[in-house]
Amino acid sequence: MSSHIFMQTIVNGLFTGGIYALVAIGLTLIYGVMSILNFAHGEFLMLGMYVAYWSFTLLGLDPYLSIPIAAVLIFLVGAFIQRGLVQRVADSHPLSQIILLLGVSMLIMGLVQFFWTADPKMIHVPYETEVFIWQDLRFSIPRTVAFFTAMFSALLLYLFLQFTRTGKAIRAVSQSKDGALLMGIDVKFIYMLTFGIGAAVTAIGGVVLTPNYRMTPTFGQAFGVIAFVVVVLGTMGNFIGAFLGGLIIGVVEAFAGFYLGGDVKIIASMLVFIIILMFKPSGLFGGKNA
Amino acid sequence: MRTFKNNLKDFLIETFMDWDKMQLLISFVVLLLIGLSPLVVKSPYYMGIIILTTLYIFLGISWNIVAGFAGQLLIAHIIFLAVGAYTTIVLNNTYGVSPWIGLPLAGVVAAILGVIVSFITLRYGLKMDYFALFTIALMVALKTLFQKWKFVGGAVGMWVRLNNPSWEKMIFKAKEPYLYIALGLVVIGLLIQYRIYKSKIGKYFLAIREDEDAAEALGINTAFYKTLAVVIGAALAGVGGGFYVMYVNFVEPLQVFNLGLNVEILMAAPIIGGLGSLAGPVLGGILNKPIVEFIRGTLAAERSGTSLIVYGTFLIISILFMPQGVTGVFYKIYLKLRDRYVKEEL
Repeated sequence: MSSHIFMQTIVNGLFTGGIYALVAIGLTLIYGVMSILNFAHGEFLMLGMYVAYWSFTLLGLDPYLSIPIAAVLIFLVGAFIQRGLVQRVADSHPLSQIILLLGVSMLIMGLVQFFWTADPKMIHVPYETEVFIWQDLRFSIPRTVAFFTAMFSALLLYLFLQFTRTGKAIRAVSQSKDGALLMGIDVKFIYMLTFGIGAAVTAIGGVVLTPNYRMTPTFGQAFGVIAFVVVVLGTMGNFIGAFLGGLIIGVVEAFAGFYLGGDVKIIASMLVFIIILMFKPSGLFGGKNA
Repeated sequence: MRTFKNNLKDFLIETFMDWDKMQLLISFVVLLLIGLSPLVVKSPYYMGIIILTTLYIFLGISWNIVAGFAGQLLIAHIIFLAVGAYTTIVLNNTYGVSPWIGLPLAGVVAAILGVIVSFITLRYGLKMDYFALFTIALMVALKTLFQKWKFVGGAVGMWVRLNNPSWEKMIFKAKEPYLYIALGLVVIGLLIQYRIYKSKIGKYFLAIREDEDAAEALGINTAFYKTLAVVIGAALAGVGGGFYVMYVNFVEPLQVFNLGLNVEILMAAPIIGGLGSLAGPVLGGILNKPIVEFIRGTLAAERSGTSLIVYGTFLIISILFMPQGVTGVFYKIYLKLRDRYVKEEL
């Protein structure tokens, strides 16, 4: 492996990893605040893709312009699911929570398949196969945009959590639900908000994938599974951990794909997962702070 | 000398006063009805539904023990069923081993996988969430692995050769023999489930489900009993997977390493019936497959995605509105009947 291919593989890995990072941030945020494993997480990514598809088909909007539409719509979907369904099992056995979210996941996939069939859909934009070359490295335009959009969204979310009142309230709930309640924070509202935000950033990840990927109702599942691995790697509930974990898994997969072939890269993620669970189950970032 | 009639009366009263025994009785009445169904049902299509219903009851029991009794977040339980199915069909096709030996071996192989998974994720102090995430990720990884593995047929999968039906090959022309094998499995499953529930092990499982730290503090080796629950569930699912593949004659990675099928054949029956109850898998199982077939057959045969919608709705409604399931409804009726009876006796 020459140094050139080596660098190219790293770039490819980081580009995929950027999306993983964004999806995992949504998942880890929800887990950190609510201690709920969102088994319907991948479906928000898939819904984001379909929003982009319909904005493109019906309104002729470029996928990148539909980012705000997808973010707002999927935020509302997420907030509704939290308030209407998940909040009712907030204090139940984790098994009930997981079964409920599994049901939500199947229902979303089923409805999408029912109304828009399982046929793969694709958005064709003029720049979908364009690349630019810098330092002998090839950068696909849509994937570059996807990567930087993901990084930018993650940064915005980070600043929001660090510096706004609401963001601080979210972090407070994540650290101690009871403490936050005593300080007069509306914990139920924060739950709803967090679930909506987690869904929305994931949907953004879905939208920026659309120029490269065909969408199907089950497309989100693979990303959901990877996001699980990423959040465990980066310590469950840890924002920075999910971000770096996503990039790491992206690069690991790129190298595994290079050596073993594209479709077995999930096995590499699985090996990473097993190694973390065996030797460092608390993840790379031991403590928990969102 | 007491007459047989008196003995029977005592037995019935004793059973009636004990809800656990009542659940067992209800289950066996249902099984008896299923066993008699070939007298009425002649169409192979409906017979097929009854056979799958029976098999789903057995598979539901296997998940009920792990998730319902011990409260473990074993979501992708289907990995054990899949491994059992592959074990049986590989033994049958490649080595000519009869499924009658293959089925127990499928249970053993699935149990070994259960031990490995538990060793990685069920140590004490490791959050139970990891277990849920791990089994899902393992399912996806195994799907890819089996798709690449030529020995088990790769992505194409494997078929059971159907020439010359015979008892020892577990291949029959008629459907009824399959029904009675499935019923036999359910009877064994129900007895195992009842024995576990009544034993000390069952009490440990419940203690772990309610509060693992408290159980550990009381001196229960929680890691061991969690592993035991997973291994029992895995072994039963493995045997069920072996029968499944002999009945549907076919297995491929995309079909069995699949969360949709996982919900349909393993989780739905105990959840609808009442997770953690003795009669749950039976009472949920007799609703599960028939309702879905009815909906698929009448309302939306031509649209895809209906079974996802139906199962998704099943899960949501069960958790939000009927956490005790159908068994809970039966229990309320039972309590009323018992109160009336007790008053009359006094």
